[in-house]
Amino acid sequence: MKKTTVFSLVRDQSVFMTAIMSLLTFLSVMTLGIAISISTGVIDWNTQWKTSATVQVTNQKSEPTVRKILNDNKTKIETLHEISESEMSDLMRPWVSGGNALQNYLPKVWEVRFKSESDLNDMSKTISPHARFLTHASALHASMSAGWKMMMIAGLILVLTLGTIAICVSYIARNTAMLHKRELEILNQIGATDSFVARQMQIIVSKISACAGLIGFVAAVPVLLLVLSSAHSARVGLMAMLNITSFGWACLVILPILITIFAIWMTRHTTLKILQKD
Amino acid sequence: MEEKTAISFANVAATYDNANEVLSDVSFNISGGAFYFLSGASGAGKTTLLRLIYQLHKPSRGQIKLFGQNTAEMTRDDIAKLRHKMAIVFQEYSLLSHMTVFDNVALPLRVRGIAEKKVKQLVTKVLDWVGLGKYADVKPMELSGGQQQRVSVARAIIVQPSILLADEPTGNLDDENASRLMELFIQMNKLFGTTIILATHNKKLMETYKFPVIHVENHRVTFVGKSSSTTEPKKVWKGPTPKNYFSELSKQFDDIGNA
Repeated sequence: MKKTTVFSLVRDQSVFMTAIMSLLTFLSVMTLGIAISISTGVIDWNTQWKTSATVQVTNQKSEPTVRKILNDNKTKIETLHEISESEMSDLMRPWVSGGNALQNYLPKVWEVRFKSESDLNDMSKTISPHARFLTHASALHASMSAGWKMMMIAGLILVLTLGTIAICVSYIARNTAMLHKRELEILNQIGATDSFVARQMQIIVSKISACAGLIGFVAAVPVLLLVLSSAHSARVGLMAMLNITSFGWACLVILPILITIFAIWMTRHTTLKILQKD
Repeated sequence: MEEKTAISFANVAATYDNANEVLSDVSFNISGGAFYFLSGASGAGKTTLLRLIYQLHKPSRGQIKLFGQNTAEMTRDDIAKLRHKMAIVFQEYSLLSHMTVFDNVALPLRVRGIAEKKVKQLVTKVLDWVGLGKYADVKPMELSGGQQQRVSVARAIIVQPSILLADEPTGNLDDENASRLMELFIQMNKLFGTTIILATHNKKLMETYKFPVIHVENHRVTFVGKSSSTTEPKKVWKGPTPKNYFSELSKQFDDIGNA
């Protein structure tokens, strides 16, 4: 059966709805993309550092004990890097420059990557009585916390954008029903059920939403890639870890489809409500 | 109540915006297959009566039964389905200006989910009947008032209604076209047993076709003349099968051209 639409939106309304839905889809994809990239970055960042720690011996008498513990537990250690005096001097250059007097007071430091988190926790208990055991995760806690907060803010913006879409679609459906009151009356006169009328509106809105979804998505992708590229240019730190996995891209593709489905549902709901109220 | 009663009113009253009653205590039964004129002065309540029958207006009191069903108990969808057995021709045509004549006439069939092939076949035939076959692809606004009236009639008759209500359908037609349209209605009534109520001011028309009259005056309804329900309702119309009469009528409309 031919799916003939009985009425169509007036041109201005059609253009307005396509433009506003494109913009809102663009913002939705952007905010979800940013939320995904930050969460991916934070998770990767967390994973990267959660098995790493720095062992710092300030009391030289404890150094043999700590060294022995490290040697005895090599099965738990992935990599062990002893910071040499020259590396330490490089690190401390602004404060330790020239002369050897202060170098005698420099701590002995090992950078250790454990095989698992439980290995790290075990070793932490063993080493802590003899040396400072600093996990990298706790040192970077503030950065990760900031990352999660940013992700939550992006999520909130996404929710607000989706809410705006709901209001817009509802308003447009209501406005369309008002503008096309005569057509609705005629449909009513010739025996069209409310479901039929709602379906007519849904056909129109689905076409506009699909078109707007495509425009919004296509516009958002290069901007997201630009944001990621700019973040990666930082090379180190949490910013450099921002990323969107293939699962994340799949989520971004699904979002405009979900928005379209939501718009269609919202249109049906609003139209039926208007018709029953009439 | 007789089994074949198509329309039944019992103490029905109608108001607009809770103002004075436009119609009061209207009671009547109209048998299936009857043909009535509906007369009365402007503003007497003829259109309101048609709107009440067609369920476009709710009575403020009383009971309306259509095909034996109490309309007060019906849902919106039930009423929509009931309207599948009815059709109405409004004085102001009620055509969709952005759609072609063909699509306007096809609309009731599409609403009913009829296959497009069948829609094309039926619309082409009915447009021929009303002499508008060559105007299928034009917009209603490009047609004269009389032609638009005929599009409106075509849209009403295409659904093979059991009840056809017409509000001044000949109001914009000259005598020649008015009588052609009347012939079309009479043939529908005789051939298909369609119950027809036709509102008109045209006394000449009422004198020519001596159908009984429902007269609306002082918010009351009175019946003048004998019921024409002697016309036996025919079997359900299985589609607008070509009849010699309609072919002839179509030719006559073509000859007349613009109304």
